[in-house]
Amino acid sequence: MDKQKWKHYLTVFTNNNLGMIGIAILLFYIFIALFAPLISPYDPTARVGAPFLSPNSNFLLGTNDVGQDILSELIHGTRISILIGIIAAFLSVAIGCLIGIIAGYYGGKIDNFLMRVVDLVLVIPFLPLMILLAAFIGPSFWNIIFVISVLTWAGPARVIRSQVLTVKTKGYVEAARSIGSKVSTILSKHILPGVVPIALSQFVLAASQAILIEASLSFLGLGDPFNKSWGTVLYYAQARSAFLTDAWLWWILPPGILITVLVIGFAFTGYSMEEILDPRLRKGRKSNE
Amino acid sequence: MSKYMLQKIAQYGIVIFIILTLNFLLPRLMPGNPLMYLAGEDVGFMTSEEKQQVLEDAGLNDPLYVQYGSYLKDMFTGNFGYSYQQKMPIIELLSDRIPWTLLLAGLNLVIATILGVIFGAISAWKRGTRTDVNMLTFFMFLSAMPSFWIGMILVSIFAGTLGWLPVFGAETGWSNYTGWERVVDITKHLILPLVSLVLISVTNVFMTMRYSMLNVLGEDYIKMAKAKGVKNRTIKYRHAMRNALLPVATVFMLSLGFMLSGATVIETVFAYPGVGRLMFESVLARDYPLIQATFLIITLSVIVANFIADLMYPFLDPKVGKSNG
Repeated sequence: MDKQKWKHYLTVFTNNNLGMIGIAILLFYIFIALFAPLISPYDPTARVGAPFLSPNSNFLLGTNDVGQDILSELIHGTRISILIGIIAAFLSVAIGCLIGIIAGYYGGKIDNFLMRVVDLVLVIPFLPLMILLAAFIGPSFWNIIFVISVLTWAGPARVIRSQVLTVKTKGYVEAARSIGSKVSTILSKHILPGVVPIALSQFVLAASQAILIEASLSFLGLGDPFNKSWGTVLYYAQARSAFLTDAWLWWILPPGILITVLVIGFAFTGYSMEEILDPRLRKGRKSNE
Repeated sequence: MSKYMLQKIAQYGIVIFIILTLNFLLPRLMPGNPLMYLAGEDVGFMTSEEKQQVLEDAGLNDPLYVQYGSYLKDMFTGNFGYSYQQKMPIIELLSDRIPWTLLLAGLNLVIATILGVIFGAISAWKRGTRTDVNMLTFFMFLSAMPSFWIGMILVSIFAGTLGWLPVFGAETGWSNYTGWERVVDITKHLILPLVSLVLISVTNVFMTMRYSMLNVLGEDYIKMAKAKGVKNRTIKYRHAMRNALLPVATVFMLSLGFMLSGATVIETVFAYPGVGRLMFESVLARDYPLIQATFLIITLSVIVANFIADLMYPFLDPKVGKSNG
């Protein structure tokens, strides 16, 4: 895609309030994730105080059942949750792109077959299957990513396929075909760039979904026990009955708020990206107001 | 039978076949001792004859295709095997738990659908106003929250802090309540899990109803009715809502999968003795036969519901049946 078009996207994006809020939220989280060891007051795995302490000047969010600092756990958990979300979403959209481009470009029987597969995957309720898979292959950082991405690529694949169908009919693709360009050249030079913007917005939405799924899996005891995410923190809070005392205010409330705000950050970014890509939505919104 | 129907039957047949096969292969493909997946930690305490006996009972010494045949037969006759952790046949565990999930998920399905339809219709009717924007914002925030966390917050406030409602379970243990007292007890235990489940499922219905209602409101016959001077109330209920309900009927069935998954998580938070909680317990105990059985029950019921929804679709929307058949 040419520079001009990207510049145009950028202008529309910066004029979009929701999108800017979304990006600001994401940057904030990425900052925390990058500088976690510098920001967090303690080593999250070290027992630094008595167990079950209420918040005080030493431990702003108190300590957990084994005397680890909850604030430090959450700051380091940002890394795990964001990494799992981003890597899983990236893989999911990458598989989706591959399937979608092949189906859309070749059409016919290949398309028909691949879309049937997509239908199959979409019908299967994914949480129980994820629990089953995660239980058998064991809880670890990469296994969770594998389980999420292998079960969520079907939605993106369908969206990307329909985008390929539109791009395919563009003049420059027809021209490249008629002068006998190699299929690999057409796919990488002409089709892929036309798909990238849609793939990006799919990625952002997939990331918010992946973060919620990771939280659920970790809460169900299938999180990586050596890399605590926000979901894992909540799993321990639940297992130690934090809801029976005031401890829920600093042990249950903060991780959930962190997850919710991050998901909203992704959603805002994703919605405004979709709006930029689909000018009809932009017009629709204006006439609403 | 139309081509559409045959296609759907084939499609769902394949899905069920894949699910059953995956469930069969998973423990057999994993590295390590298959006994481990059958009997869990009990393996350590078994003599080698007992181990042989377990292998023999499970048919694990047979060739794979024989195992697969008897596995399929077992699944269709409800013979899910034995849970070594809970020392009970799995089918008994399941039949204890299924009624609770049906109670919770069934009530949720009804309440979430009614609320979603009402709010969705209001939101679309008042499109672009403050009410609409507020509702959209509320539901967007709701869907950004982790479902189990909503349950945890509710239990912290209403059971932990205020002490109004019980913290866990479906009834008070060892209470011997009977008749009316028992109904009250069960209702009290049901409120918090039900409210959490409704909160996480209503967004889906709301969004569908709002979208569908907006489409209907743009149709010519609504404009016509307005032009003729038909009362707003009549247009809203007689003309618009009735037609907008069509897609909601399918969402009703399609959300069943979402709701049962939601029930898994919510039952876990409230230690509510349903199938979802059973799946969680089996995961914690690494009770593999039980994980597989609960997985099958939840997944197959969702797939069957989706299948029924797909079959009903041509009757609800005549355009689908015609273009395909």
